[in-house]
Amino acid sequence: MQCYDSGDYNAALDKALDLAAYADFAARAEEAKARGKRRGIGISSYVEACGIAPSAAVGQLGGGVGLWESAQVRFNPTGNVQVFTGTHSHGQGHETTFAQLVCDQLGVPIENIEVIHGDTAKTQFGMGTYGSRSLAVGGVAIAKACEKLIAKGKKIAAHALEAAEGDIEFADGSFAVAGTDKAMSIGEVAFNAYVPHSYPEGVEPGFDENAFFDPTNFSFPAGTHICEVEVDPDTGGVEIIKYSAVDDFGKLVNPMIVEGQVHGGIAHGVGQALLEACRYDSDGQLITASFMDYTMPRADNLPSFDVDYAPTHPPDNPLGVKGCGEAGAIGAPPAVINAIANALGVKHIDMPATSESVWRAAQSAAQA
Amino acid sequence: MYEFSYKNVDSVSAAVEAMQAADDGKFLAGGQTMLPTMKHRLASPSDIIDLGGIDELKGISVNAGTVTIGAMTTHGEVAASADVQNAIPALAKLAGNIGDPAVRNRGTIGGSIANNDPAADYPSAVIALGATVKTNQREIAGDDFFTGMFETALAEDEIIVSVSFPVAESAAYMKFENPASRYAIVGVFVAKTGGSVRVAVTGATPCAHRALRIEEALNGELNSAAVDAAEIPVEKMNSDIHASAEYRAHLVKVMAKRAVEACV
Repeated sequence: MQCYDSGDYNAALDKALDLAAYADFAARAEEAKARGKRRGIGISSYVEACGIAPSAAVGQLGGGVGLWESAQVRFNPTGNVQVFTGTHSHGQGHETTFAQLVCDQLGVPIENIEVIHGDTAKTQFGMGTYGSRSLAVGGVAIAKACEKLIAKGKKIAAHALEAAEGDIEFADGSFAVAGTDKAMSIGEVAFNAYVPHSYPEGVEPGFDENAFFDPTNFSFPAGTHICEVEVDPDTGGVEIIKYSAVDDFGKLVNPMIVEGQVHGGIAHGVGQALLEACRYDSDGQLITASFMDYTMPRADNLPSFDVDYAPTHPPDNPLGVKGCGEAGAIGAPPAVINAIANALGVKHIDMPATSESVWRAAQSAAQA
Repeated sequence: MYEFSYKNVDSVSAAVEAMQAADDGKFLAGGQTMLPTMKHRLASPSDIIDLGGIDELKGISVNAGTVTIGAMTTHGEVAASADVQNAIPALAKLAGNIGDPAVRNRGTIGGSIANNDPAADYPSAVIALGATVKTNQREIAGDDFFTGMFETALAEDEIIVSVSFPVAESAAYMKFENPASRYAIVGVFVAKTGGSVRVAVTGATPCAHRALRIEEALNGELNSAAVDAAEIPVEKMNSDIHASAEYRAHLVKVMAKRAVEACV
């Protein structure tokens, strides 16, 4: 059985209530009422299971696969580093986030790092990008491959620097003999590995390592999203006035990318809550076959988001990360629907809450 | 898209000649409906006669209380025109809210009213403002121009030259947008001109029309509460996945009231 890794749910809730100025909501609702509008506020707190998944747990759940990931980190004699990953980036910015991991760990400039993904003629077998697992599982495999490079580098440096392997310390891209000023850069070590003229006995040439990672637990991102809407009771139109999100994704490798992921997730969630539906006619013909009829969320359907974090440290993940890809899409639908229900004083409204269905709910609520 | 022959002309008479010589020709204005329709193979004209090179069809002029807009003037040009903004601000605003910037930079007033999409914005302004449509053959009153869904009074080889809008004392257009296409689910144009109030509705029914019931209820006054007395026939309303007939009938009143309020 798996246990929640870490979480401080009250911290996220409290922070979100502050961000949303929840305490002053009643005054804003009164002001809206004076303009003939109805304001509502909706809260959604969630815990999700990401970083999928320990292969044994997958087996227990009846899954027919192992959900490990693998990575190959190839440090070339020229000094550039190629990172092969089995996960795939289609807009999530893995190229940047994974390069940052390698940059921090190996101490090489980020412009020397190339992340290679998606071309199955070049990359290894992978289990895929979903379940907010790419960094939490695939990222750890990259870190493990880097650790192997460092361990091998210590052997090569010890030989070159005529020191004991145990005396070699690695930091900021440099292998140094502890307590001395003798050191060589990771680039020089890599060059030695490919030109092994004076080389430790029993060590393979080359500076190219492969690692697999099978997580020991899921990761459990959590958070609170608060949505404030204004409903026009005469038309059923819903405007999102304010949207506040506070999430626990563990450690953030690249905060800008994480915020972008949250924005995109919320937009998807708002689309699900208010706009998107596949409709068929009575003959089974799809009638939402183009964007003239299928309502994708667009920028003018959304406010500027207020995003913050309440991170905790997940002890089971070697990088301390949890995953951020789905949080917005999980938090947004209940937050939006709760806000509409709050505005109208009703218990339920189906998704998508189109203007006509909101207008009908407003009519029923007024008659009740 | 099927193969067609493209004709570039520089005068109205050359356009008419090209049309008369064509098997199954179509005039091309901004192409914002025509080209997607051809791409979907819902239309396959033998000849496309491009009106884009005809200078006499372009431009905006204001004189003697009338705003005249050339047929090939884009929505973007109408929206940005200081003359239109001063004379009939509601018309400039309507043009500025058609589609998106790409559509507004290509789509034209002549193309829009000749196509007569049931949910297009311009037809409501043509009717409510009592505009006159000038063609290469005659002048057609706005009230007589729109004859049915995607149908107009135009003959096959007839080309709109310009549309003349009398300047109203006050006017306003209120549109409830389709959330996907941003066409009008319901759009209501209200104009007070010379003591009478005219109301036109688009989006609600198969063809934009004058809303005589609302005009009767208003009885020449810009009093939004009076709209409540008008009965909107639900059975005449369009119904689709975005709005039922009942909801549209309701929205006609709401948008009419808001347009009347915006006029005051």
